Amino acid sequence: MLSDLYIRLRSLFRRAKVEVELDDELRFHQEQQADKYMRAGMSRDAALRQVHLDFGGLAKIKEDCRDARGISILESFGHDLRFGIRTLAKAPAFTTIVIVTLALGIGANTAIFTLVNAIMLRALPVRDPQQLVVLQWSARHWPQNGISSFGDCASNQRNATSATSCSLPYTLFEEIQKQTNVLSDAMAFAGPSQMNLSGDGAATIAQGEVVSGSYFQALGVSPALGRTLLPDDERSGAPAVAVLDYAYWQRAFGGSPAVIGQTIRLNDTSFTIVGVTEPEFTRLTPGKSVDLWVSLSQAPHLGKQWAGRSNPDNWWLVVVGRLQPGVSRAQARAALDLLFVNATSHGTKQHWDKTDNPHLDLLPAQDGLRGIRNQYDKPLMLLMTAVGLILLISCANVAGLMLARATAREREMAVRLAMGAARRRIIRQLLTESLLLSFLGAATGALLAPLGVSGLAAFFSKNAWLPLQLDLHVDARVLLFTLAVALVTGIGFGIAPAFRGSQTSLTSHLKGNATTTVRHSRVQMLSLGSALVVLQVALSMVVLTGAGLLLRTLVNLRRIDAGFDTRNLLIFDLNPQLAGHKDEQIPGLYADMQRQISTLPGVNSVSYASEALMDGGYSSRDMKIEGRSDKSKVEVLTLQVGPNYFPTMKIPLLSGRLFNSADTANTNRALVNRSFVAKYLAGRNPLGMHFGGDDPQDPQWEIVGVVGDAKFATPRSEDAPTAFMPFTSGGVSFEVRTAPPPATLMRAVRNVVNSVDANLPVLRMRTQSDSIDRLLFNERLVARLLGLFAALGLMLACIGLYGLLSYEVSRRTREIGIRTALGAQRGTIWSLVVRHGILLVSLGAIAGGGAALALTRLLTSLLYSVRPTDPFTYALTAGILLILGIFACSLPALRATRVDPTTALRCE
Amino acid sequence: MMPERIDLPQGTLDILILRTLSLGPQHGWAISERVQQISDDVLRIQQGSLYPALHRLERQGWIKAKWGASENNRRAKFYELTRTGQKQLATEQDAWEKLTAAVGQVLRAV
Repeated sequence: MLSDLYIRLRSLFRRAKVEVELDDELRFHQEQQADKYMRAGMSRDAALRQVHLDFGGLAKIKEDCRDARGISILESFGHDLRFGIRTLAKAPAFTTIVIVTLALGIGANTAIFTLVNAIMLRALPVRDPQQLVVLQWSARHWPQNGISSFGDCASNQRNATSATSCSLPYTLFEEIQKQTNVLSDAMAFAGPSQMNLSGDGAATIAQGEVVSGSYFQALGVSPALGRTLLPDDERSGAPAVAVLDYAYWQRAFGGSPAVIGQTIRLNDTSFTIVGVTEPEFTRLTPGKSVDLWVSLSQAPHLGKQWAGRSNPDNWWLVVVGRLQPGVSRAQARAALDLLFVNATSHGTKQHWDKTDNPHLDLLPAQDGLRGIRNQYDKPLMLLMTAVGLILLISCANVAGLMLARATAREREMAVRLAMGAARRRIIRQLLTESLLLSFLGAATGALLAPLGVSGLAAFFSKNAWLPLQLDLHVDARVLLFTLAVALVTGIGFGIAPAFRGSQTSLTSHLKGNATTTVRHSRVQMLSLGSALVVLQVALSMVVLTGAGLLLRTLVNLRRIDAGFDTRNLLIFDLNPQLAGHKDEQIPGLYADMQRQISTLPGVNSVSYASEALMDGGYSSRDMKIEGRSDKSKVEVLTLQVGPNYFPTMKIPLLSGRLFNSADTANTNRALVNRSFVAKYLAGRNPLGMHFGGDDPQDPQWEIVGVVGDAKFATPRSEDAPTAFMPFTSGGVSFEVRTAPPPATLMRAVRNVVNSVDANLPVLRMRTQSDSIDRLLFNERLVARLLGLFAALGLMLACIGLYGLLSYEVSRRTREIGIRTALGAQRGTIWSLVVRHGILLVSLGAIAGGGAALALTRLLTSLLYSVRPTDPFTYALTAGILLILGIFACSLPALRATRVDPTTALRCE
Repeated sequence: MMPERIDLPQGTLDILILRTLSLGPQHGWAISERVQQISDDVLRIQQGSLYPALHRLERQGWIKAKWGASENNRRAKFYELTRTGQKQLATEQDAWEKLTAAVGQVLRAV
């Protein structure tokens, strides 16, 4: 109602005037009444007295009028706020402790939420992202054709019962593009992959993505400079053009407008730069950083043989469509699914049996394009849980402090109740104070959070395989989250003390002998305080247990026997084909590198292989093994190795011989590992046996030696049957065994590679330990942060315990004095206090242990050779809690032993 | 001898105020005097409830206030009935009469 709003607003903004009017109105009434009494013959004094008696409490009437005008909530909030600020300013120590505690709790939440927001929640920075869908198929089995992917969609390890992927052939994409009745636009992309960029100073590596000509139009991304790619650029024979990412343009080209029209060489092919994208377009798939885009029709010129357009067996493109307005996802799905099933299950080449039940799904692009979410979803959820626990600890801590303070303010509350304040007004006042505190804490926390966020971002980037795109700016969602957390926190820790504060017994306090009569309420308050401490200890125990389990996991993972010497090993990758080297030149180039690097001082030995061990990747083939009765093929991991590989890696020879210079790619001799023999050739002499693919053209390898097992992909990999063949051609990982720490030789090794071929970029130079650290990233991330949070939680719990016991000692001064006077020993007094503390810690540890048993199950996938219920970890955590608890108790206990009986007995 | 006074039943204050104001704009004191007079001193409105009620009715938009000069030429706040207030009065009066008639009927019949 309009009058309602007007009067409320007028009450709020013209408050002074409204108050004066109210005074005038009531005074007029009193005067009229007094006149009436005087007309009836009363004296003026008597008349005024009678008026006051009639009226009762003038302040009460005014308050009721204010209520009736609906001003009270807003206005009294202003009063409460001003009063709250004054009260808190009068207790700076208390206020500071509370704000710092809350700032740590809320800041940690904001920091982790910023990451969650950047990786999981933020909308795609393109036009109307909610209209975009990504095409994802699933079936019971993988089709019998080549599938390549760049990890854009949900990762699905190849397994026997289901297959899911976003990779589609170009031929199908062409068909999908024609379905304009359901999709207004469709685009396809693959990548990014590393491209060797020259023509702009020294050769560098750029993350280049091959995309359809419709890519930018479909996304609604405009150029900041020049133009984006157009459908015409996809034509066969169209000029080779490239579009730069805005940030890359700033970074690599200094933001110069002169780049338009400039020629660069990508993988030894010339491209003309035609445009730069708008700065808002920072990413498509979460975490993926792309430096430049070229048409997918150029892919074969870039050495990307997997990117053939005409072959329907080659599935390599992620397809994203924009729904026609008014067309639902289900309608579009029905149309496209039909197309997909027809193209793959019927026609000339069938990819599936009928029983494989292949079908196509349309996922919202926001959910379907997952990228680094595949890797980080789980640890982020864990960390969000952990910071939630930390926030609970800080709430419990602050609630404890507020409770103690409420006791100290009982007299104040009694006075206010006596003056006629309603209990709900007092509750509101106390809640306003706690909200004030929580918002101050949140503001401080929000200032601290960016420190944590940048630290985390650096840790993420340092351990990423590829350049990582993380947009960590604080947006409205993060602010809203922080505000909501502050609100919930303020009410959470304020509600119990507020109700307790409003229930102050009136008379006893005003009489001044509160200590004797309100013992009952104090006992309650103490038990609530104790419960809060127990809660803090329990929650700390949960976080600490999690941290302990992960630390043990890391120790276990670092202690495992890799089967080769992981120390003092420097690794770098080369891909000479990208720099224009022909296949036949490559072995000579590698031999040259090997010889020159091995002459460097500090280098013990050098070799290379098609892949580095314990670096995340592996390759495998299904093969048949001689003498095995069953006809089925078995999986064999394969690695092509250069000369001197096994001595360099320090993988031992168990029987037979290693490769020598007579073994080449064409002599079909191979080495196998111990697991190969144990699993496939048990009880037989492996030397001289053969294995290989079942195609008549596949080489059959003769086993000439057996070497020890080595971990292939990751530290968690089981030892698997592996075959080693002599190196043929392609990109490699060089392995340099050094005497000094390997990082010290990085520059020298790089110089050698540059001196052999200045156009050949060194890719991903790292030590073996770096690689292992990167593989253990999730474990390390969660272990580190849980450790940090556990320390924070423990500190808060100890402060809470200390605060509670200090308060208790000061409250029981008189009792302790009497005990001392009656001859109690200092030890007895000491243990009296400490025993209470230990009781609380023990209760907390038991409750926390129970909660940890339930919660640490979330960690199972991160743990290695330690169970979530590992008794050792639980015992250790409980021990740490107990020791810290005793420390926290000892100071108040010491103070108790120093109580002077004479002072104590006089003090009340 | 003062006549015996009756406490106002819940909810009747509003209708008394609205009815009094239907005769013309009045200030608060005059409203309470008028009710007291017309009811032959039986009904007496407490100041503690009169003013909050006036402010509440103003907020509801049934009455509006303006400052003017009183009969003895003092500045006073006058309340008058708005159009919605008149409708409200009609509704409430109707409801009240039905209620009292019904209650009276029951009391007489038993």
